[in-house]
Amino acid sequence: MARTKIVEVPMALEIPVGPQHPALHEPLLIKLYVEGEVVTKVEVNTGYNHRGIEKLCERNNFYRNIFLCGRVCGICNTVHANCYVRAVEAILDVDPPPRAKYLRVLAMELERVHSHMLINAVMAEVLGYDTLFMTIMRDREAVMKAKEIVTGARVLADYMMVGGVRRDIDEVKKDRLLKLLDKIEERVRYYRKVFEDDPTIFKRLVDVGRLSPADIVSHSLVGPVARGSDVGTDVRFEDPHEAYPEIPVMKLIKRDEGDSWARMMVRWDEALVSIEASRYVLQHLPQGNAVPDERKLPRRFPPGEAFTRAEAPRGELTYYVLSDGKPTPYRVKIRTPSFNNIINGAFAFVGACIADVPAILVSFDPCISCMERVVVVDPETGSKRKLSLRELATRGVSR
Amino acid sequence: MVHSFLREVLRNLIRRPATIEYPKKETPVEPDFRGRHYPDLTKCIGCSLCALECPSNVITMKPIPKELADAAPPANRRRIYPSIRYFGCIFCYRCVTVCPVRAYVVSNEYRLASDKPLFSDELSLSTLRRRKGVGAQ
Repeated sequence: MARTKIVEVPMALEIPVGPQHPALHEPLLIKLYVEGEVVTKVEVNTGYNHRGIEKLCERNNFYRNIFLCGRVCGICNTVHANCYVRAVEAILDVDPPPRAKYLRVLAMELERVHSHMLINAVMAEVLGYDTLFMTIMRDREAVMKAKEIVTGARVLADYMMVGGVRRDIDEVKKDRLLKLLDKIEERVRYYRKVFEDDPTIFKRLVDVGRLSPADIVSHSLVGPVARGSDVGTDVRFEDPHEAYPEIPVMKLIKRDEGDSWARMMVRWDEALVSIEASRYVLQHLPQGNAVPDERKLPRRFPPGEAFTRAEAPRGELTYYVLSDGKPTPYRVKIRTPSFNNIINGAFAFVGACIADVPAILVSFDPCISCMERVVVVDPETGSKRKLSLRELATRGVSR
Repeated sequence: MVHSFLREVLRNLIRRPATIEYPKKETPVEPDFRGRHYPDLTKCIGCSLCALECPSNVITMKPIPKELADAAPPANRRRIYPSIRYFGCIFCYRCVTVCPVRAYVVSNEYRLASDKPLFSDELSLSTLRRRKGVGAQ
């Protein structure tokens, strides 16, 4: 019997990426539904790294929370602590001295440099370019050293305190930092050129995961992801805080390509601006005392609320702190940039090939520990609902 | 550009390794790196503020052993001292900065790996022993 008709049956294959996967550095499950090589649907499942930090903040006092909030994310710890500290300062009506504001900017900008170098290195690794990964990570050590000189620790700085910073820098440290910054700048310029010209990176990143400005705005994507698609959103300019408005070298970086490559290039350019800003801060550091005596800080907190924003390396970070006059905050709400970028950005994978998925994901700079939130799913009906604070408190930790 | 990166790779062949051979060579840390710290009991007044303020709850107040109790300062009426559990410590130095008598001794000692739990008790009590030894002479 001759064949007269061919019936094509679409078959979607489900591929789980994660929670443990070589392309991921933190636990996240991305369920890919693919037809052949092309991704047709994506589901993002989170919840593998939930630590209940917001709830814990309600049990600790205001000062202990500074260190707890710094541990929401290891890489952007000074930005988290800064955002929380500014909220507490707003409740207390305290204004830090100008020198402290400059030093806070220095710590945050150094952090941005190392965060952007890290994610570019991870991108190189994901693309199979391990030599580049190794060399970027080697040169990133200079930034870690600079952070150690400024804050006293390589990663977890614990640098912010209500009314100032926790340690000052002297002339010797300033000279060492300026020398380190020269060294870092030379290397960052070199790596930027590698990312700009290398054919391997070009082939894997250009025109991969292209996002239009309309997509960015409708899905509320933030940070370098938005700036890579010609949406100029940056909290350092929109909501001037600390010493940012006084630093003339700060400039908004954006590109109009909108693909993974543009997002990585925005990060390199921002790293260069951050280095320039750090240098300006060191050269124009105001005189005065930046370190408050922590023994004399206020112990009573008036009732009040504060909402603060900061530009973390990954995008806009917001904190809401509500005080009811007790020694502990009534509510601390954290909205991290990865929460928007990863969960809302899942549409970017649709239409891409399987091999492009890690590249698109890394170009979003995912920070999983930042974005875990509680949603209760009923397995029988499949319905989801969010728990109120009271319900969560009465349920206890064990359930 | 490929050639330029190849040059970088070739340069790495003649460079010394970037990694530090840790047990043979010491990792260079800053003199004011936040490392191991312990309370100096000749200054501590047993106010427990560090234990209350510790973000990771690793400081517990313990009674000073009887044979050393007389060496503690008179202001320490309750004869108690803070003991830090280093394995849980996050080295934020909040205890150091809130101490009303600046009793904490700080160092940049970062080598705190051990197969047994590490506490600050021995270091703290040695400050009292030293004072008692000096007093006896």
